[in-house]
Amino acid sequence: MEKPFILHMLTTAKNLSPFDVNMAMDAGWVSALPYINVEPSEVQGLVQDAIFSRSTKNLKRTGIFIGGRDTKQAMDMLKTAKRSMVPPFEVSVFADPSGAFTTAAGMVAAVEHELITKFNTTLEGKNILALGGTGPVGQAAAVISAQAGANVRIIGRQLEKAQLVADLCSNEFGDGKITITAGADADKAEYIKTADIVFATGAAGIELLSAELIASAPQLKVAADVNAVPPAGIAGVDAFHNGAPIEGSISGAVGIGALAIGNVKYQAQNRLLKKMISSEKPVYLHFEHAFEVAREYIKSNG
Amino acid sequence: MEKRSILHMFDPTPNNSPFDINMAVDAGFDILMPYSNVKLDSVYRLTQDAIFSRGPAGVKRTALFLGGRDLGLAMDMLDTARQAMVPPFEISVFADPSGAFTTAAALVACVEKQLIAVHAKELKGSKVLVFGGTGPVGIATGVIASLAGAETYLVDHLSLDAAEDVAKAYNRRFGCSMKGAVASSDVEKIALIADVDIIFSAAKAGVQVLSATVLESAKELKVAGDVNAVPPLGIEGIKHKDSGAPLIHAVNSKGAVSVGPLAVGNVKYQLQNTMLKIMLETDTPLYLDFREAFIKARLIV
Repeated sequence: MEKPFILHMLTTAKNLSPFDVNMAMDAGWVSALPYINVEPSEVQGLVQDAIFSRSTKNLKRTGIFIGGRDTKQAMDMLKTAKRSMVPPFEVSVFADPSGAFTTAAGMVAAVEHELITKFNTTLEGKNILALGGTGPVGQAAAVISAQAGANVRIIGRQLEKAQLVADLCSNEFGDGKITITAGADADKAEYIKTADIVFATGAAGIELLSAELIASAPQLKVAADVNAVPPAGIAGVDAFHNGAPIEGSISGAVGIGALAIGNVKYQAQNRLLKKMISSEKPVYLHFEHAFEVAREYIKSNG
Repeated sequence: MEKRSILHMFDPTPNNSPFDINMAVDAGFDILMPYSNVKLDSVYRLTQDAIFSRGPAGVKRTALFLGGRDLGLAMDMLDTARQAMVPPFEISVFADPSGAFTTAAALVACVEKQLIAVHAKELKGSKVLVFGGTGPVGIATGVIASLAGAETYLVDHLSLDAAEDVAKAYNRRFGCSMKGAVASSDVEKIALIADVDIIFSAAKAGVQVLSATVLESAKELKVAGDVNAVPPLGIEGIKHKDSGAPLIHAVNSKGAVSVGPLAVGNVKYQLQNTMLKIMLETDTPLYLDFREAFIKARLIV
């Protein structure tokens, strides 16, 4: 008899996100069990407990999800989990801290779609400003787009912190193969003059890009905002925006709002959770894979 | 419609063990509910909350699993849960902290089988050493062996006092008669194993406890069992799947045989599966600990 699908869900936070639990159940996992307040040092023990209690056949029906809030911590836990496997006792692992990897993937894929359909171009060589970009979504979005060939600048209120995050993204998440730069929020009026794309990934309810700045952006093409709570992070881009022109843009820029991004994010997370189930070999999934499936989704539904 | 089966999993540590979760799902429980950081004084109330909400038919589809790392605490929780039952509102309870009860039961049963088959001896009257004797699996192994009539020593690798304290505490609790011993060097190990019949190795994974040189000093050794599956194994010369293979380095013990960690693990797996399944099948509530586990392990081997 085939055994039920079990997803062991690890988080460093004091609770799982109900979002992730719903997503896991809807993707076909039958039992989803929470492990909370997990210390990174406990990952090896938990992983090995999980892999040694089922036959290799049924390990294909077993998975590990890594949540939490911190990007680096989640990536470290993913690496530890991978190292803790004892082939053939091995299971798939998917890291998506705060849903940031799939959200970022959804946003970048939606932006790329607008570039292709409205501007007949790609992410390659584009200047991107990641406003409020020091958080988990900003980090992942910066790395994904830099890997796709864009020049990304992470903008934060404090330049020093933005620089630290940019270095982390370039060296740690991008394996030193990409270079992400940093900038201070105070200087964004200057940066916006050469920006092709803006990501707004700051805290909810804060306007990161004003109407005035939009009007002063001569080559802006797409502006995407993950914030669903008014006021919008980008003036003139509300949650329902999905490729509509932004009022006041002199370059004909289009906006993408939280609901359009959320839809692609949902599809990406669903596909990765299903991939863990359907894959013959164990897979270790993070933001790069989230971007792959987000692109696939848009391609087949665009 | 038959109600779905629910296993409430109380654990004094911050998280349940994924091992137990997989085992419980695979034994057929429909729903697992983890309760972490459970204190002993919450067990009574939590148990009553579990028994009073499903009706007499529902309680048959409800059971309780007690995990954690501490044997004594698990047994106290088992006692408390039992006292909290209000027949006919009563559910089965299975304690298996760190999997130690089922691992120990499987280890002793596998070794006993070889003792009977190869040497025509029984645990009663045998002299037994348990290395790693102050850890969860070691203690449970010692208690089972001692209750079966073996002269049992819990061996600590650092402190005689620690070993004796643990032996006394568990003797009081289970009415057995274990003693403590220490072996922090090969010299001490050589002296200890000279006249023993059985060696259990339940020490830390990846640590070799008995080398070939030390094993040469054993004159009476009949069976050695090892639960450490991470190389190097606890006893030199034992292989993972050994089940009655000659213990090659015990050159001065005629016919000594070994039981390896995968042989034990295989029985442990079947045993834990059985223990979980019988909670779903039983008509009368069961209270399961290492004693019941040993009875079932003997049947399995």
